[in-house]
Amino acid sequence: MSYVYTVARLRGMENHILDTAFFSRLMDSAGIDDAVKALGETSYSQWISGANSNFDKAIDSEILATCTELESFVPDKGLLDIFRLPYDFHNVKVLLKGLFKVRGGESEGRRYDLLSKLGTIDVDELTNAIETEEYGFLPYGLTDLIPQCWQLWDASKNAQAVELLIDHQMFRAMLNVAEGLNMSDVVHWVKCKIDAENLRSAVRLARIKYDPAKALPFFHDGGTIRADDMAKLLAEPQETWGRILSYTDIGAVLGALGEQNDMKAALSDVSKALDDYLLKVLESAKYSMDAPANVLLYLLTKEAEARNMRVALVCVAGGLDREFGRRLLSNGR
Amino acid sequence: MEHLGLSLALFGAALAAALAGIGSAIGIGVAGGAAAGVMTEDPNKFGSCLILQALPGTQGIYGLLIAFFVLNKLGLLGGAGAVALTWNQGLQILASCLPIAVVGWYSAIWQGKTSAASIQMISKKPEAMGKAIILPAMVETYAVLALLTSILMLMGVQVG
Repeated sequence: MSYVYTVARLRGMENHILDTAFFSRLMDSAGIDDAVKALGETSYSQWISGANSNFDKAIDSEILATCTELESFVPDKGLLDIFRLPYDFHNVKVLLKGLFKVRGGESEGRRYDLLSKLGTIDVDELTNAIETEEYGFLPYGLTDLIPQCWQLWDASKNAQAVELLIDHQMFRAMLNVAEGLNMSDVVHWVKCKIDAENLRSAVRLARIKYDPAKALPFFHDGGTIRADDMAKLLAEPQETWGRILSYTDIGAVLGALGEQNDMKAALSDVSKALDDYLLKVLESAKYSMDAPANVLLYLLTKEAEARNMRVALVCVAGGLDREFGRRLLSNGR
Repeated sequence: MEHLGLSLALFGAALAAALAGIGSAIGIGVAGGAAAGVMTEDPNKFGSCLILQALPGTQGIYGLLIAFFVLNKLGLLGGAGAVALTWNQGLQILASCLPIAVVGWYSAIWQGKTSAASIQMISKKPEAMGKAIILPAMVETYAVLALLTSILMLMGVQVG
């Protein structure tokens, strides 16, 4: 399947992606009214009507509109599914947690406002399937996963364990979709994504001084680094992780943080570095005129733009420290 | 066997026109796909895209030129009737057609890919149009060399 048309169109669309310099200027806005004015000439303006708009919904609408547009011309829908699939699993978590609370006697357990429309499964259909316990048509192994979640919840009442079970299946499903596409760079990216998520978990667990012997269930299989090797990191001082993982690409991310003596900085810094790393993994596709990975790269860049938009608007609306906000901006474009 | 020489020569002319033409069609198709993608987002780039899309078309013209050259040499143009050819002369003409047939076919496809990449380049940097033309034009060099080789070889074949 030729991606020449697709990649050329994406190159044209990339011109409309907002760069970090724009967000830096946006953060200098005196107030939210000025920020909304500055957004007037961007594609976000169609979703934002004024300072009282729901910015989260507006940003989600922009991403959803991008996905819908891409769906109309990307030859392999699987590339979009890899990007959208985590939102399905997020919705499953929200719905199950709500039902756990309802079964526990809380009448206000359901949080439909937290559901995302960015998933591949229609939100109403997913809600209906989970509430009526008819999972037969659900993709990505959800048919078997949801009953397992209920079993685990009934046996342990441990929401975190259920969440981990869902995450394990999510990464398995992402890898399955990527392998089905038969695109080696996309499969590699999914593996790197699993590594990045494992590393994020390792940093979180290290911060709360979690017992390394019990940490293995927090790590997902399928990455370029084995889950048990990731778990072993917890037994080592955090400053040495970069050196231990120096044989991997992701080790360089930690190495760079270590050089800045920033290893103990906020988790958001590590998260930002890992997000940038995941963009870099696909960067070689930029130099190809027909690499399918460009679709994923575009979506991730758009997602980074949305993340930057959230950071900038929260900074402006909440009057937060602008310098801290600038540190959080991803280098999407 | 008496027409074998003529048949071989005509086969050479057909190869030159057909293979170079097929290559050009593929190359223009690839570049056209990229041009359509870019123009979906920015229809104002039509002019630049058209120039870059047309570049892989030259090989087809070179192939046609050699085919005409052969037909002229054989006396098939102008109604004077075909000259008598030995199988050896026919084979020489067939061999003369091969450079543009093979190089034209292959270079047009690669030029199309380079043109597509250049079209994507001007989508982001319209000011780099000059550079964008030079890159696929480099591929053209080898098609021109093949054309020249075919012409020189044909001129060296003695018929009639």
